[in-house]
Amino acid sequence: MTAPPLPQKSLDELTLGGNVALEDLVSRDGLTEVVKSANELFGLPIRVFAEDGKLLADAAESVELYAYLNTSRSGRAALSEVVAAVKALAPGPEGEAEYTCVTGARYRVAAIIYDSRQIGRMILGPFSADPSAGPPASLLALDPQLDTDNLRALHRKLPQSSEQTVSLVARHLARVLDLLLFSGHRALLTSNMHLASVRESFRELEDKNQKLQVAYDRLKELDRLKSNFLATVSHELRTPLTSIIGYSEMLVEGLAGELTSEQRDFVQTIRDKGDQLLALIKGLLDLSKLESGTMSLRKNQVDVAALVKDVVTTMTPTARKKEVELAFEVEKGLPAIWADAERLRQVLLNLTENAIKFTPVSGSVRLTAKIAGMDAQTGGDAGGMVLLGARRTAVELRVLDTGIGIPENERSRVFDAFYQVDSSSTREVGGTGLGLSIVKRLVDAHDGAVRIEANEPRGAVFVVTIPVRRATIG
Amino acid sequence: MQLDFVNRELTIKLVYYGPALSGKTTNLQALHKAAEPGASGRLMTLETRDDRTLFFDLLPLTFRNQGSLAVRLKVFTVPGQVIHASTRRLVVQGADGIAFIADSRSAETQHNAESFIDLKENLKQHGLTLKQMPVVIQFNKRDLPEVRSDAEIAELASHGREPVYLAVAMRGQGVVESFVGLLHLTWSALDAEHDLNKKFGFDSDAFLQTVAKKLGDPRPLRDILGACVGGALDVLKPEAG
Repeated sequence: MTAPPLPQKSLDELTLGGNVALEDLVSRDGLTEVVKSANELFGLPIRVFAEDGKLLADAAESVELYAYLNTSRSGRAALSEVVAAVKALAPGPEGEAEYTCVTGARYRVAAIIYDSRQIGRMILGPFSADPSAGPPASLLALDPQLDTDNLRALHRKLPQSSEQTVSLVARHLARVLDLLLFSGHRALLTSNMHLASVRESFRELEDKNQKLQVAYDRLKELDRLKSNFLATVSHELRTPLTSIIGYSEMLVEGLAGELTSEQRDFVQTIRDKGDQLLALIKGLLDLSKLESGTMSLRKNQVDVAALVKDVVTTMTPTARKKEVELAFEVEKGLPAIWADAERLRQVLLNLTENAIKFTPVSGSVRLTAKIAGMDAQTGGDAGGMVLLGARRTAVELRVLDTGIGIPENERSRVFDAFYQVDSSSTREVGGTGLGLSIVKRLVDAHDGAVRIEANEPRGAVFVVTIPVRRATIG
Repeated sequence: MQLDFVNRELTIKLVYYGPALSGKTTNLQALHKAAEPGASGRLMTLETRDDRTLFFDLLPLTFRNQGSLAVRLKVFTVPGQVIHASTRRLVVQGADGIAFIADSRSAETQHNAESFIDLKENLKQHGLTLKQMPVVIQFNKRDLPEVRSDAEIAELASHGREPVYLAVAMRGQGVVESFVGLLHLTWSALDAEHDLNKKFGFDSDAFLQTVAKKLGDPRPLRDILGACVGGALDVLKPEAG
């Protein structure tokens, strides 16, 4: 996914360009309200036009004199001339212009200026500045059909205002409009900046995501290469090692002639170390197979009770040698689980061996097996228990020891390959640091879970949960 | 820069950049206060409730010259706080010149430097380099205790290419000088690129003198421009291409 380009010009268009229109900044309705209120206050007809001549606000009641003039043909013609003239009236450099029409009424045009540019006009009028002067001769002579008395009477009804008041009203309106325009412009800029900032932040995040994705893909590839390398090397190491072990075995058995007892001891040591090395290489091979997902599990119905008993029997000599008590406890009526018996045995053996290794003399190691709900075990009711609880029943296997225990903050890391809680203990008790990572991956391969708890008052508990049936959902 | 040939209008965008609370908005307020009525429009600030700049401040200044060319200056500030990185990038886009407002206090040295690097980075995002951009630097808050000394700044400035100004923006000191210096540098760069003086029969020195006067500084232009320490006011030319 490519990041969108930097937003172009939005801010510049709004702040630098000259194309800010009156209507962009204030609403017509709002403008009409302001103009009407000024009209009520001063009795002056007021209209506001956009720069392109569009009428935006109108606060002008119909003028009776004009209505009367409209009844005659020449009156109509004169009025339309007035309209054209007023519309064409351009405020000069001073920002104002005035026009006196055939009826003697006046019109004042004032520019609406924002950011030193004219963006509209307002027209005040018609108004009569001097009512005592009466109608001009031009009005009375307009059409003989029009009644002069009526014209005089209606002329008196024209909106009245002094020149000075009109100037004040125009200036006042200009100031009010300026504030409205400024506020409108500010709001427009703010909302645009909000949008632009969000867009820009989004673009930035997209960019970072993309870089992270590339880095992540690379790491994944490296990890795959590492696993491949591990598998190849382990395999290549194993072949000559098998020969070394085989030949030293033959030597010990005296196939190449009798050995002195010292020679036999030496060869026996070579054999033992060879076995250790082989176990380590097998571990590495397992790990790489598990990591690359190429380990095939031969799953079958497995009797957990028999498995636990078998593991305890196997480990009893080791425990006895270290003077550690080894016991087990299996709940009655445990269902068979769907698993690879050999791999599960490897898990239990590894955990038990570890437990014995880290338990001091006269301590105890215990294996238990009981039935448990899978989800209930992995974090309590996180919601929807009623729906999910029955989904997967599981068998929970526990290996409890009374050893040094594992601090809480280390518990998730002990399953990393080559990790040991306290590297000084490695020298004391031995071990490659591979065992637990293999355990974790084997359990994962069974859709199970493994976690560590504290054993009271001391020691650690490894809890392995294996679902009874194959996971069919989720 | 935007040039409107029909209306003979030139719009120039100047940006006040710098770390948080270094006095960018205060500079604009001082310019606004100093400007003659008619030359300056309203100062628009888009700020948060705690008076910190949220997006930018905008001060419009308009000067008409004898060549009947209207020069509209749009002076922006950026929000200084680190989190507003994207806004700074948006505001700095299309800038014709930049005034970098630094905080003189010794404790702020690191923030000044970080902000300058941020400016460089943001220009780069728009495909620009500092070399192409007219920049003046202002050391503000000279009146505070524990500021870097005049001698130290002068020594550093003598090695740099940007003209450096000393200011107390709260009192309006050094504000107009910085601004006129920036405008001079910006105009030189734009003129070199677009040949403005010749095209419009424009006398840029007279124009700058008018601007200074309308901003309340009656001194001869040479004195105003000479107020900087270090840097150079006449070397900036746009890079070829």
